[in-house]
This record gives sequence, C-alpha cells and structure tokens, in this order.
Amino acid sequence: MSSNLLNVFKRLNITAATQIRLCSSVSNVVPDNREISVTKKEWKFPPQYTKPREVWIENLDTIEEKKLGLFELHPLVYATVPRIDLIHRNVEWQKKYRWVSWAHTKTRAEVRGGGRKPWPQKGLGRARHGSIRSPLWRGGGIVHGPRSGKTHFFMLPFDMRIHGLTSTLSAKFAQDDLHVVKDLELPTEEPAYIIDLIESRNWGPSVLLVDDTDYAPRNITVATDNLPHVNIMPVYGLNVYSMLKHDTLILTHSAAQKIEERLLIHLHSSITEQQMKFKLSQV
Amino acid sequence: MATVWRSQRAFARFFVGKTARILNNASDLGAKLTTASISVSSKQNYSNYAHSPFVKNIKEQYEFEIVKNPPEWAYVERLMPFETIPNVTPKAAYPSGWIPPKEEARNLPYFIARTRNHQLPIYLDLSYRGMRKISMIKKIDGDIWLLNDLIKEHLKKTQNRYVETRVHELGRFIEVKGDFVTTLCNWAYAQGF
Repeated sequence: MSSNLLNVFKRLNITAATQIRLCSSVSNVVPDNREISVTKKEWKFPPQYTKPREVWIENLDTIEEKKLGLFELHPLVYATVPRIDLIHRNVEWQKKYRWVSWAHTKTRAEVRGGGRKPWPQKGLGRARHGSIRSPLWRGGGIVHGPRSGKTHFFMLPFDMRIHGLTSTLSAKFAQDDLHVVKDLELPTEEPAYIIDLIESRNWGPSVLLVDDTDYAPRNITVATDNLPHVNIMPVYGLNVYSMLKHDTLILTHSAAQKIEERLLIHLHSSITEQQMKFKLSQV
Repeated sequence: MATVWRSQRAFARFFVGKTARILNNASDLGAKLTTASISVSSKQNYSNYAHSPFVKNIKEQYEFEIVKNPPEWAYVERLMPFETIPNVTPKAAYPSGWIPPKEEARNLPYFIARTRNHQLPIYLDLSYRGMRKISMIKKIDGDIWLLNDLIKEHLKKTQNRYVETRVHELGRFIEVKGDFVTTLCNWAYAQGF
C-alpha cells in the first residue's frame, strides 16, 4: 500500500516536472497549422497555487499519434492528491447501492411440520422438546438467518462522491492513463483498426472512451461493438468504478472541459441541499 | 380532474342536459341551475367507470401567452439562488472584519487555500467531552513540512513552550495539539493566506 502511494507521488512529481518543460517549449513543438491553438484558459475559478496541468490533444483518425494542440486542465479536478481512501469508498458504494441479497433461510415457523410435540414432557428421561423444527434440531429452522430481498442501498455523502471523481481523474492523469482526443471520428468501422491503434499507442488493453454527447459517431460504435474491453460512455455516466475498471481513460476535448466545469461548480457552491438526507421521492 | 368528476356522478345524474356547463365550471357544480332543468330520467349508468364521459374543453381561468426571454426575466433572475458562491468584491475595508487573502502569498513555497466560503480552513476539534483539543489546518498546498516547522517555531515563541503537531501529507492537513485557532489564524493572516 505505502509503496503504491510512493509510486503515485513519484509519478506526480515527474509529470509536474515535464509539464514545466513542455510549457517552455510550446511554441517550438506545435506546428503552425495546428487546428486547436494553445490558449490560456479563462476559468471562473482560476487555480490559486498549483499550476494548471497541460495535456496533448491527440487524434483518433490515424493509427500513429498526431498531436493537435495543447490543452490546460484545472488542477483542482485533474491534479489533486489522489485520496485512495475516497476512491475505495466510492467503489464500495457503487457496488453496494445496487446489491440486493437474495440469500434466504426458513424460520421454525416456515419449515414444514413440527406442529406436534415429539414426545411427552415428562416420564421418558429425555430432554423436553415441543417441536421437531426447533432451531436446536437438525433440519430445524434457522434463527436470525439471512432473509431475502435485503437491500444494501445507501448514499455516500456528496462531497465524497465529488472528491472520489477528482481523486480518480488525478490518479489516472498522474499515471499517464488519461488522454484527451479531439473527437471520436474514425476513418473505418473495422475493429482491427481500433485494436491496432490501442496497441501502437500503448493504451489499454481495456479502454474507456468518454464523450460529451450520448450518441457516438457510427464508425466507433460499430468498431467497438464486439470488443468487450473498449467501451464508450457519456459524460453524465462517468464514475469511479468504470474509471478504475478500465486501464486507460480517453476523454474527448469537450468531455474533459465539461467534466471540469461541472466538478468546479460543485467544488465552489453551497452543497447543503445535496448533503441532505436521501429521500426516495427526490429521484 | 376526471376522477373528481366521476366521483360526483351520483349528483350530476340529476342535472342531465346541463352536462357541458357543469363540466366547464368546476367549482359551482350546477348551483346556478334552476329546479326546472332537473330531470331524473337518465338511461346512462354513470356509476360504471367505462361509460362515464371524459372531461373536455376545460376553460382556463386566466388568459396567458408564453413568451421566451422577456425583458422582465432579469428581475426573476436576481431572485434565483446563486449557482456558485460568488467572489468577493474588492473593497478598502470590510465592516464584518473579514480579511482578504493577499496576492503575494502565492509566491511562498507553501499555501493555505481558502474554503469555498472564503474563510481560513483552520478549525478546532473537540473530543472526549471537550478534554482533547486539536487545532486543524486544512487545505495545505506545497511544502507541508516546511509549514509545519514554521508553525512549531511560531507557537514555541508565542506560547513559551513546545507544542506538538502532526502532519498528514496525503490528507494535506496539520493537527496541532491544543487550542491555538486564534494564534494560527492570526499567523495565517499575517502570511497573507
């Protein structure tokens, strides 16, 4: 555990160092005919102390990687300290809120028979018993056993859900497992193309593609249809469990911006309403 | 609406012939009807759900039209709650005594960020029935160990004794044993946080 943490920190430092170098060499690296220019972003909540992280915008329309521009990510969302405890609590929550346990045992009332007293109370020299389905008996009922339809639903506090997302995004980014692409347009609908692309760029094997919209271009949906380890997800479906389940997280340019915007709003707003006790009627 | 009418069918069957009028005016339920209009000879069985008529052409009480982006919307907007906590407007002095963070604090090797409510994240944690007092400095960025050394030094100077602290690097907070919230806040303000 501690060695993992150390690794994460080392990687964080390494990425921070490279970021600075990239900053200074921006004008040399990016060609003049770039489609997306490097612009200093105007945030509603500009970063206070930590410098914004910069990330390449890549392409998906050729197998070999092309850098289409640089893009700034807000450190509050993409470069926080990855709180592993919060990530774990989010994963546990996601597993539990949908889990209904169907384990079931019968009580002494539900086990068949047992209505008659097996032998008289006195005079036989045997222990007194009133039913052959008593929990003391073999084949008798179970006391305090599992009863089916037990839900494990609960809501994790709102702040923990928000910080779980930022922690996971930051951990993915620090480990070079988060990439930003311009869009999800592919030239072909062959699954071999996307397999080659993932192989050549050292992504994956499992890849989660996140787009701004909830309809993806036809080519990528057809290409990934039979690849169970390559999945497409809209921004509103992004969650800690899926991010951890996939090795690489690919965000489109607009998706990265939207995630950042939504999380920054929640990080800078009053959340008393969201923190209130969960009621079924609020859904 | 329809269910209300269906439940009132038992009375309405006496007012057959004025059905349309009753349906349009929901509240008075045939109160304006004279005794002459009442006829009891009804062949329809209104207690049957399937045969009872639907309510149609309900007249709206007020006439209105729907307008997109009217000029008056600005007045509605200023009544709506803020989406995010607004930034502080810079002033020379604040009557509440709130102290704004200084710009030069960002050049220090360590940093204490303000909370979303623009307050210092320095808190007192009371436990064991108020016997254990721990001051907590949260939201620390940068060199947390250097900040810890400086705090220790400052507290030793002001309190004339050694003060125990504990650094949580991953959680980005420092715990100080004892109630030093005011001292720490003043120190942080002096640093410009």
